[in-house]
Amino acid sequence: MIVTVKKRDGREMPFNIEKISAAIEKAFRASGELDEQIKASQDQLNLLGNDDVLSSTALQVAASAVGLLEAEGKVKPEIEEIQDAVEKALTEGGYADTAKSYILYRAERTRIREVNTRLMHTLRDITFSSAKESDLKRENANIDGDTAMGTMLKYGSESAKHFYTMMMLKPEHSRAHSEGDIHIHDLDFYSLTMTCCQIDLKKLFKGGFNTGHGHLREPKDIRSYAALAAIAIQSNQNDQHGGQSIPNFDYAMADGVRITYRKAYLSNMVKALILLTGKTEEEIQPVVKKLHAEMAEMGMVATLVPNEKFVEAEARELSKVYDTEIVMKAQKFAEKMAYEETDKTTFQAMEAFVHNLNSMHSRAGAQTPFSSINYGMCTEPEARMVMRNLLLTTDEGLGGGETAIFPIQIFRVKEGISLNPGDPNYDLFKLACKVSAKRLFPNFSFQDAPYNLQYYKPGHPETEISYMGCRTRVIGNNYDPTREISFGRGNLSFTSINLPRIAIKMKSVDLFFKELDRMLQLVSDQLMERFAVQSRRKVKNFPFLMGQGVWIDSEKLGWEDTVGEVIKHGTLSIGFIGLAETLVALTGKHHGESEASQELGLKIIGHMREFCDKESKRLGLNFSLLATPAEGLSGRFVRMDKKKFGIIPGVTDRDYYTNSFHVPVYYKISAFKKLSLEAPYHALTNAGHISYVELDGDPTQNLDAFEKIVHHMAKVGIGYGSINHPVDRDPVCGFVGVIGDCCPRCGRSEGHAISEAKIEELRKLYPGMPAFKGIR
Amino acid sequence: MSEKELSKYGEGVGFERIRRITGYLVGTIDRFNNAKRAEVNDRVKHGV
Repeated sequence: MIVTVKKRDGREMPFNIEKISAAIEKAFRASGELDEQIKASQDQLNLLGNDDVLSSTALQVAASAVGLLEAEGKVKPEIEEIQDAVEKALTEGGYADTAKSYILYRAERTRIREVNTRLMHTLRDITFSSAKESDLKRENANIDGDTAMGTMLKYGSESAKHFYTMMMLKPEHSRAHSEGDIHIHDLDFYSLTMTCCQIDLKKLFKGGFNTGHGHLREPKDIRSYAALAAIAIQSNQNDQHGGQSIPNFDYAMADGVRITYRKAYLSNMVKALILLTGKTEEEIQPVVKKLHAEMAEMGMVATLVPNEKFVEAEARELSKVYDTEIVMKAQKFAEKMAYEETDKTTFQAMEAFVHNLNSMHSRAGAQTPFSSINYGMCTEPEARMVMRNLLLTTDEGLGGGETAIFPIQIFRVKEGISLNPGDPNYDLFKLACKVSAKRLFPNFSFQDAPYNLQYYKPGHPETEISYMGCRTRVIGNNYDPTREISFGRGNLSFTSINLPRIAIKMKSVDLFFKELDRMLQLVSDQLMERFAVQSRRKVKNFPFLMGQGVWIDSEKLGWEDTVGEVIKHGTLSIGFIGLAETLVALTGKHHGESEASQELGLKIIGHMREFCDKESKRLGLNFSLLATPAEGLSGRFVRMDKKKFGIIPGVTDRDYYTNSFHVPVYYKISAFKKLSLEAPYHALTNAGHISYVELDGDPTQNLDAFEKIVHHMAKVGIGYGSINHPVDRDPVCGFVGVIGDCCPRCGRSEGHAISEAKIEELRKLYPGMPAFKGIR
Repeated sequence: MSEKELSKYGEGVGFERIRRITGYLVGTIDRFNNAKRAEVNDRVKHGV
């Protein structure tokens, strides 16, 4: 006789036949196989109750299962053995359908159990391994997985992913994601928020804003403009899972410079008059201050490049009180000093801004904000002062001369503005090239690319092309064609398709397109499901993004309103990875080595874009096609495909799939040819794209070549591009540049020591050398 | 300062190597995931 059962974890528990019959009852209910008998017993007004047939039959089956076990001599059966016996008893009893639903029930229970076990394994990995060993902890390189807060974030993130996969996603979406047909990005934030936003700083600063932890007044000089810009990025980062970008850094900061200059001019005018007239500050200050205030009311203010109207009116009025010659002298002095002071203050403000963005915390301290800034088009002197100083401080690097990781800087290039000699911002473009050749930033965006130019209206900065540093681009607006702008908008969510897998599975081009269509529809449905979840969120769920009116039209909503309508301005993006491997799988050659493959590549990506446009029309929303950045995704699909299909040369034989539409990184090709081949894909991927080329050696030694490449990008229609080169640094002597086996400055090789005397000697040559903090 | 102490200046300290990961930077390569590391190793230079 059976008295105990052995559970999966090895424990012995008292045997209880009712547990078995309860499970069998569920199976009967699911199959409906007893429905007729139950109905018949009800019709006969069986007094024993409705469930009688069900429970008694279930108990009978349970009893025969026990009989089967006992006949096999099992005294302490294991759970799996009991379930096998139940299946057998059901089949023998003639309940084939119920046996089937019992098997499904078993499978479901197993799945849940496995998921829980997997979750526990994941949490254990997060807890006990360091980022060095754990790939999971390096999934997003901007989060430090070794810190307490980084680990806590990872617990939350992994648990949330499990929860959404099990409970919220439609089973077909969940399966497609977990099997690697598609990748739902930022799944851990599935029900919580949207990806990113372009923050219009000018609008935000007007009247001040509230971070959720306190009110900040409208800034009153360039230093507070820059400080508040960083705080705005930080605050918004906590309301979204992606990055934050400022589309109008030049225009917005110029306002701060204007105020700073006005103040500096006033104080220097007072100083000059004190010195030249011999009068006291108490006598002079009120006179000048009152005059400036009165003139400001009439629209006359001191400006960085002196304007005649102000200069003449000020001279006329002050000459009524002081000697004319003195006034003229004082004006010259004030202009010169105010310019110098404003320039210096602006440099300090930009320096602090960059430092802040590399040190301030977001997301419980696990990360610095993922920040981008766009600039380059504003030609006003104040904006030019901001850009020049920003570039200069970027060139200098952080405190120890390190390359700043944030903000991602995007310099807008346009003919007539910055691209060519004689353009008003050409000097800044040259400087941007020089800085990028040393520090990898700025990247370059191209306003004249036809698909960017079509939205541009001169005098309307909101129509200039803005990129999120990673590459996201939002400008077209099918939902509201009168608002084709970047300000206040962003991506809602994106999901990427495993293109190489479709090619491996389908082999022929015709079948490839059929399966691609199925996958596109699946992703579109999944994006819409998520959109519905996002739409139900309320303003109060985004205290900064929506509560402070950062997102377009959110200022029209109340605290308890849902955001469904306003987020229709955002984009739903379909991404892809591994076009190169896809083409190899279909034709044997990628687009870098064959014209036919390039043609097919453009056909595939063009087809995907057409689908997005069609869905936008059908649903009245903004579907767009993304050349996925794929940091975490670069290895995920190929790992699974290797297991499924084995090693296929040129397709699954590396540890990564090639980024989006890029020509493979390992393929030898000239920079110009690579860019020319990739440019047509920029036109198709309206949700974002980037191309980069790898330069050998130290490009600061060959700035002409650097500039030539940027010009080529502009010529062939690249939308967003950058130039890669090694940026190495020796923390001991502070050298930044290309380091081979040994440091060109101090001569030490990796891990080796040098003498204190040598360091002292170097310090005389390089006074800016950082103080080395380490073992000494 | 003794000879032994002197020789420790910079001992065990590696070079920092920053590479663009995918449009943005993330700090030195040791923070890259395995796939991205493999990709960076495979990158060839493009002639001008």
